[in-house]
Order: sequence, then C-alpha cells, then structure tokens
Amino acid sequence: MDSRLLFLLILLPLAGGILNACIGCRLPRRLVPLLAIGSVLGSFILSIVCWSLAAGGGTQVKLFTWLESAGLKADIGLFFDPLAASMCLMVTGVACLIHIYAAGYMARDENPARFFALLNLFVFAMLCIILADNLLLLFLGWEGVGFCSYGLIGFWYEKHENALAGRKAFIVTRVGDLFFTIALLWLFTLLGTVDIAEINQRAAELDPGLITPLVLLLLGGACGKSAQLPLMTWLPDAMAGPTPVSALIHAATMVTAGVYLLCRMFPLVSLSSVGMAVIACVGAFTALYAASCALAQREIKRVLAYSTMSQIGYMFLAVGVGSVAAAVNHLLVHAFFKALLFMGAGALIHLAGGENDIFKMGGLRKKNPLLFGLFLVGILCLAGAPLTGGFFSKDAILLATFSRGDGLSAILWGLGVFTAGLTSFYSFRLLYLVFFGESRGSKAGHHLSPLLVWTLPPLALLGLCGGLLNLPHLYGGQEMLSHWLGTVPAVVLPFVTEIGLVLLMVLSFGAGWLPAHILYRNFRGEQEAPWRQFLLQGWRFDGLYEQIILRPYRFVARFCWIAGDRGLIDGVVEGIGSTMLHWGGYFRRLATGQLSFYLQGFAWGLLLMLGWLLLKAAV
Amino acid sequence: MLASVLTEFPILSLLLWLPFAGTLLCLLLRHSALACRWLALLTTLSVLLLTVWLFACLPTESGWLLKEDYAWIPTFGIRYSLALDGISLLLVCLTALLQVAAVLISWKQKEHTALFYALVLVLETGIIGVFLATDLFLFYLFWELMLIPMLFLIGVWGHGNRVYAALKFFFFTLAGSLCLLLAIISLYLIHGEQTGIYSFAFESLLQTQLSSGMEMLLYLGFLLAFIVKVPLFPFHTWLPDAHTEAPAAGSVDLAGLLLKTGIYGLIRFAFPLFPNAAQQSLPVLAVLGLIGIFYAAWIAYVQTDIKRVVAYSSVAHMGFVILGLAAWNQLAWEGSLLLMVNHGVTTGGLFILIAMLQDRTGSRDLRVLGGMWKTLPFFSAFFLLFCLASLGLPGLSNFAGEILVLLGTFSRWPLLAALAAAGVVFSAAYMLRVVQGVLWGPLGQICKIGDKDCLHEDLDRREWLLMIPLGLLVIWLGLYPAPVLEPMRGPISLLLKAGGLP
Repeated sequence: MDSRLLFLLILLPLAGGILNACIGCRLPRRLVPLLAIGSVLGSFILSIVCWSLAAGGGTQVKLFTWLESAGLKADIGLFFDPLAASMCLMVTGVACLIHIYAAGYMARDENPARFFALLNLFVFAMLCIILADNLLLLFLGWEGVGFCSYGLIGFWYEKHENALAGRKAFIVTRVGDLFFTIALLWLFTLLGTVDIAEINQRAAELDPGLITPLVLLLLGGACGKSAQLPLMTWLPDAMAGPTPVSALIHAATMVTAGVYLLCRMFPLVSLSSVGMAVIACVGAFTALYAASCALAQREIKRVLAYSTMSQIGYMFLAVGVGSVAAAVNHLLVHAFFKALLFMGAGALIHLAGGENDIFKMGGLRKKNPLLFGLFLVGILCLAGAPLTGGFFSKDAILLATFSRGDGLSAILWGLGVFTAGLTSFYSFRLLYLVFFGESRGSKAGHHLSPLLVWTLPPLALLGLCGGLLNLPHLYGGQEMLSHWLGTVPAVVLPFVTEIGLVLLMVLSFGAGWLPAHILYRNFRGEQEAPWRQFLLQGWRFDGLYEQIILRPYRFVARFCWIAGDRGLIDGVVEGIGSTMLHWGGYFRRLATGQLSFYLQGFAWGLLLMLGWLLLKAAV
Repeated sequence: MLASVLTEFPILSLLLWLPFAGTLLCLLLRHSALACRWLALLTTLSVLLLTVWLFACLPTESGWLLKEDYAWIPTFGIRYSLALDGISLLLVCLTALLQVAAVLISWKQKEHTALFYALVLVLETGIIGVFLATDLFLFYLFWELMLIPMLFLIGVWGHGNRVYAALKFFFFTLAGSLCLLLAIISLYLIHGEQTGIYSFAFESLLQTQLSSGMEMLLYLGFLLAFIVKVPLFPFHTWLPDAHTEAPAAGSVDLAGLLLKTGIYGLIRFAFPLFPNAAQQSLPVLAVLGLIGIFYAAWIAYVQTDIKRVVAYSSVAHMGFVILGLAAWNQLAWEGSLLLMVNHGVTTGGLFILIAMLQDRTGSRDLRVLGGMWKTLPFFSAFFLLFCLASLGLPGLSNFAGEILVLLGTFSRWPLLAALAAAGVVFSAAYMLRVVQGVLWGPLGQICKIGDKDCLHEDLDRREWLLMIPLGLLVIWLGLYPAPVLEPMRGPISLLLKAGGLP
C-alpha cells in the first residue's frame, strides 16, 4: 500500500476546512455540513485502510521540508505506528460522529460555514499532533488545536463572556506551550535533531541530570493542554462553546493531547524516575481536585468538564507509573463515553428548553427514555460500574499503581480509589438530578432532531465494550492493546491480591452510588454552604491567579508605560528638548535687530581675535 | 543571454532611479491627481516586477550577485557603487512589495495628491539606495534621504498629534545619524592617513587598522544610528508616536521597511567594520533585545489605540531580531533575517487593515470598536489571520523566524532564549486583546447610530487585490520559507566569518 495515503488522511480535513472557510458562505446551506462530514469520514476510512502500515516498526513518510537551516531539518513528515494508529482511528471515528451530531445541533445557526471550517481544521491539527514525526510539526498541530479551540469556544462571539473564555483557554494553554517550547529548544541543542523517533532512541545518551528538567518541561506543556494542575482553570470556562465542540475538543481529543505527548515521548520520559513520580502526582492530585469540584457544580456541562479533568488525571497517573497501555486504554474508552455524555448533555439541554442548571432539570427520564438509556451507559462507564469499559480501564491504572509497591505509589493508589468513589458519587448525582424526580424547570422543551440521538448508540456500545480492548488475563483476556502497542506487560500480582483489588473497586463504586441515591433520588434543593461555594468555584483558583498573576501583570504593564516610556524615556528626551529651547530663549535676546548692537558685537569680536593673534605672536 | 543582460545592463541603477523618475513625473503632472495615482502605481509595480524577476533568476550564491561601480567625486574618493547580494535582494523585494501596498492603501488620498505620491516614491529610492549602496558616503546620503519624505508624510498627512510625532521621529533619527556621520568621517580620515588613499568604499575601509578604543568609539557611533532606527529599547519611544500619527502608507513603510534599514546597517556595515567591538557588544545587545521583547509586550497590553499596540509589537519583534543577531550563529541569523522579512509582511498587513478599519468606522480605539465580524466578515477574517501571524502561530509567517531565532539563541544563551520564549505568551496576550476588542463582543458604540447598527461595506475590489497576495504570502512564508532562506544562507555565513566567529 502506498504510504502517501497517510497524507490524504490529514489533508482531507484540511481541504474541507479551507473550502468551508473560503467559499462556505456561498455554498448551499446543506452542503456545508456534508462537506465537513465527508472529509472526516474520508479520514476515518483511510485510517482503517492504512491500519496495516502501523504494524511492525511503523511507517515514516515525508512530504516536503518545512524548515531547514544550519543543522535543523524539520519535515512535513508523518510517523504512523501502533500508538498513532489507535489514536487516529479514535479521533477520526469520534470526530465523524460528532460532525454528524453537529449537523443536527447547529442546524439553525447563522454561521455554519465558520463552525464547520473550524471543526475540520481542528481535526486536521489534531491529526498533525498524532502523526507528526518531529516535534516542530507536532507543535504546529499543538498550537493549531489551540487556535481552533479558541475560535470555537468563542464561536458565539457576540456574548462577551464566550470570547473571553476562548481567550483564557488560548493564553493559559500557551503558558504550558512555553514549557514545551523550551523543552524543544533544549532537546535540539543537546541532540541536534527534532525528530521524535531519533530523540527517543538517543535519549539514553543524554546526561541523566538533564533528563528530569526536560521531562518536567514536557509535563508543563502537557498540563496546559490537558488542563491539569496548576494550568487547569481554562477548561470549565471552555464550556461556553457549542456542545459538539465540548464533546470533540474538550472531552475526547484535544485535552488528551498532553497524555499522548507523554506517551509519544515515553522512552525519554521513562528515564527520569523523579519526572515520572511528578507526573503521577500531578495526575492523582488533579483527579482528586477535579472530582471534588464536580461534587458541587450546577451546570451540566461543567460537571462533565471537571470529570474530564479528573479522568485525564488518571491517565497522567498511568503514564507516571509507567503503564502506557493503561493510559491509552483509558484515553480511548474515556473518549467514547465522554463524547457520549457531552452529546447526550447537548440533547438534554435542548430537551429542557435551553436549561443547563441541573437543579432546574429533573424528570427527563419520562420525556425521552432512549436518551436516558444512552446517558445511563455513559454515567455507568464514568462511575466505573463493574464490567463497563470505564471499570476495566480505571482498574488497570490503579492496579498498575498498586503493583509498584513503593510508599508514594501506595498513597497515590489510595487517592485514586478515593477519587473513584467521588466519581461514582457525582456521576449518579448528575444522573438523578437530571432524569429522576419531578421536573423543576420552567422552560418549554424543544423538539429533538434525530441526529442528536442516533449518533449516540455507537459510542455507547464502544464505551460499554471498551474493556475488551485490553482485557486482562484475570478475565481470560489477552491484553490486546498492550501487545499492539508493544509496551511492557503489566506486573502479574498474586491472584488473591488482584481479586481483592477488584472487589475494592466495586466497593468504592457502591460507596459513591449509595449516598447519591439517598441524597438526590428525590431532590428537594440543598442548603447553601461555604464549602459548596468553594468547590463550585474550583477552589477559587481563578481568584488566586487574578491576585498573584494578572494583577501584577497589569500593574507592571501600566508602570512600564506611564513611568518607563512616558515618564523616564520621553521625560529625558523632552527634557533635552526643552533645555535647548530654554537656552535658545536666552540667545534669542541677542537678536535685537538694532544695527548698532550688531556693530558693537562685531567690533568686540574683532578686538578679541586681534588680541589673540598678538598674544600668539608674542609667545 | 540572461547573464549578459544582467552584467552589462545597469539594472541596479534602474531599480534605484525608477521610483525617482516617478517622483519627477509626479511633480510634473501635479495638476492631475488621477494621473499621479496611476503613475505611482505603475512605477511601484514595475519596480516590483523587476525585483521579482531578479529574485526568480539570480542564483543563490554567497557574495555579490550584481555590482555597479563608477567614480563620482574622485577628489574625495567618493564612488557611486551599488551591489546586491542575497540579503539585499530580499529586502529590496520586500520594499518593492510594500510600496505597491502603500500606494494602493492610500488610493483615496485627496490632499496634495501629487506631492504625497512623489514623497512615497522618493522614499522608495532612499530605501532601495540604503539596501544597495556599498560606498559609505552614498549610503549615508540615502540614509538621510529616507528621513525627509517620512518627516513630511507624517507631518503633513498624519493624524491629530502629527507635528509632535514627526519632529520626535526626525530628531531621534537625526541624532543617531549625526553620530553615524561623525564615525564615517573619522573612519575615512583614519583610513586615509594610514594608507594615503582617501576612500569611502566599504571594501577599502574594511582594511583599516584601529586601536581597540577607537574601534569601540566608532562602532558606538554606527550602533547608535542603527539601533535608534531598529528601534531597540530604550531608543524606541519615537516609534509608537510616529506610527500612531502617520498615514497608512507611512505606517506601512515605517514598520515594513524603515526599521529594517537599521538591522541591515548593523549586519552590513557596523559588524564587519568593527568585528572586535561588535563581539564585545553582543551580550549588551542580547539583553537589550530581551528587555525590548518584554517591555514592549507589557506596554502593548495596556494600549487602547490599535496602531499603538501594533507599534509596540514591532518593538518586541525587533527585540527578537536583535537577540538572534547577538547569538551570532547561522541558525539564529537566518531566523532573524527571516523574521525581519516576515515582520514586514505581517505588520505591513496589519497597518493596512487598520487603515481600512479607520476608513470605515473612523476610530482605532479598542474601547469603542467591537463585533466587527458581524458586519465585516471578510475584513475580519484577514484581520484575524494577520493577528495570528503576528502572535507567532506555527504555520504562519512569524513563527518560522521566531523558532529559528530561539533555536539558534538557545545554544548560546539558554536562559535568554527561554525567557524570550516567554515573550511569545505575552504577544498572545496583547494580540488577542486586539482581536477581542475589534472582532468579538457586541457591536461597538462607534458602529451604532442610536440603536441601529451602521452597515459598513466589506472589502472592495482594490482591497481584495491588496489583501489576497499578502495573506497568501503570510501562509507561504510560514509553511515553506526555503525560497527566502536559501538566498540568505551564503551571505550570512560570509558575514559571520568576516565578523569572526566566536
């Protein structure tokens, strides 16, 4: 098979995006989404067709050289290996469904061309990240998804907050990108290359003392994109975007780019035990932090946003304890069920007449039982109900953490199990508040377009059966994904320990579900409490950053302008000018215009000169 | 055939004097605004075609590609000598391109039309002359020749506070130029005393033996003139004022071209003539460049006039360029010069767009603008594109230059490069603030009469004609900068060697 087909894989969405951007507003309305769906569908088919190219060592192809200068050579080149292939398939598949869903969701919007152009461009940029064979091209995709996310969060730009949320997302993730850039510069200076495969291969040559800072820098980049502590504040606000965008970008694909980066660079990352420990800690603490915030959220999409953050924390934990397969497995399964949940949430908001406060929803089960069933599947996966995809993938991560055996891992494992309980609690809280009890809302519901519902079943099926991807030996599976990715096989624990851990997971699921059932099955409203406010506002990190970063920044900016440019520099310059003017004023008085005065001066001058000459002659 | 044409025909002189001829014709035809307009367009277009033709068919070698050399004032050893290498070729191309844009954007110029275009054309001669002259006297002549038309462009056709801005611009650069003149004459005299041959020719002056103290002194004279023009922190305060008050064509020329003459002077004359002093100054230049990046980005963040934001962003970008030059290696220099070209295109484009916006709404104030995407979608798309290019989005022009600068600088000064990378975040902060203020949000107050929205016309045919090539150029330079990098590669390695590699 011609390996250049891979380029078609990324160029199709690009072409779709450019077409829609340039002539979309002239095209017939129905053609715009069709064009976008078609190009992504094409990509999806191509990623299936190209699947065999990934086997073995993978395939590397290049189109042309992007940047070449002394020692630097960055191609527009792709690298298709099992990891990239799995991601590609997931991204194009989920993107395809979400595009179709979006065709229904945005059916009445005024600017479908802009929306679908950005969505297609996003898929292009995301595929760039996944397939790039060098860090510069990866960075192109990395910033590309950032831009598309910016444009889509602020898609309804006439509302000020939407545009602000977009800008916040762009800038906060760019802070992360700064660390990524520095890592890139440093790696190039040390190894003289930006090729990912080569960097991974030669990582062992590096001075061990340098690897830890490099890994931490990469982690910084990953944290920005994946909304991990401390760069997580943008994700909840990003929910201002249209729901298909939240599903695609802020749940299934872009936010997992950080995890993907760490997996891609794993040969380098794994060389630093300190770096790995930090990654694991960031993951575990973010998981806990986000889960705690999700407990008190009232907007349906914000609950899901925090749950995304929390689940990505688990993936970071998996990478940190050295289990790439578990991370990727959770990434894939999470993409399925989280896209399902978001798309379901979009449909629910429609159904509730635009209401997104879960305290004002309620009773929607009777209105659309099918939607309830699908959403239930998503919730079960998220909560880690036994035998769903989410259960297996989360279990594998905690198993891997436990099997490390050291003190830190034990603590992180404990956090992970506790967080799993919280997850189960807030998942069911969401479910009960939205579907059960009586309707508490006042808005009249909208009619649901069939596209909004019928795109969900495939995702539900995938989420439910996601466990089969990497079914452990305990259940008679073969750990397919691990073999496909060629990663280190998981440590085999004694049978009894393993069973015990599984039972513990089931227990924590139940421990979360039961209180949710008691508290929210028949919800009558709850008391305001300071701790609820604290959690609702995400531990008030926004306020903190405002105080310690934004305010000083604005102060310095004003100071530079008023005191620096206006005061000091211009002051000096204008000071010189006005001094000149001042002295000029004195000299001007000499120009009296009286002939006698000038003659007088003339005579004095002559006299002085003569005197000087005489003096010189005398000496 | 082609080669003989290129060597025998004084093509550089043609390039140089064609705009000047246009100036004279403009003055002759001063009673017909229409004729002047078309004349200016034709002249700039033919210069553009000529340079593009040169760009396409000249080989990418190091050393001079074309040369002309005639005796001019033999008594003082002044020669009329022009030469073109890969770097000057690119800069001349950029000049030719932006001048066409400058003419097109001021198409509706109504006051003193003939004089306006005459000045724009004579400015082109001055700038091309600076990029071509290899005799220091001739160079200085053109250096000053650029100043006069710019002074009048700002002072006569500018906005509100134009006289202040024009004078500030004039005196800043004049003070620098004075130092340059003194340094050139001293060098001329020292060289004459040493060899008995008095000459302003750059290649002879290169041989001058200087004591280290004298070398530093003369270098500082050159340096001051050039970094005021760049402008490097803390000599930049003329730029925001000049930009803000200048008419559109003036802003385009200032940002796109005049700033580049400073960089060009540095690498062509100051560094090679005084290699040791240059080496000593590099850390200072690097730190000043870095300060410029941050300082300008901070100030840009609190401006309300879009032109001012873009002006300060120019200062920040030029800080990047200087930082790259100070790193003194092939990678960083290629990046710096590429960034210089890219910055010319993006910032030129931004000023053009701002002029269009001001034509329509009558304002450049972020506080009263907003929501333009609703009424001017095509304009807004271009505006977004150029802002993104300016904030260094990969795949668009500025990124290619910036990343090369950073990669090159990191090997010499890791800390400075890492800090400079942080400047990129800041550029996102102020550029997105502009995007926010102009394109997003509810429609601005200025665009409303009472409760009704004003309907502005989106881009007309002339404006499409202007923006499409620039937009394509931004993407092309970002995705495939090789055609621009290749002609510079040889000359840069020569310059680095002549200055003595550290």
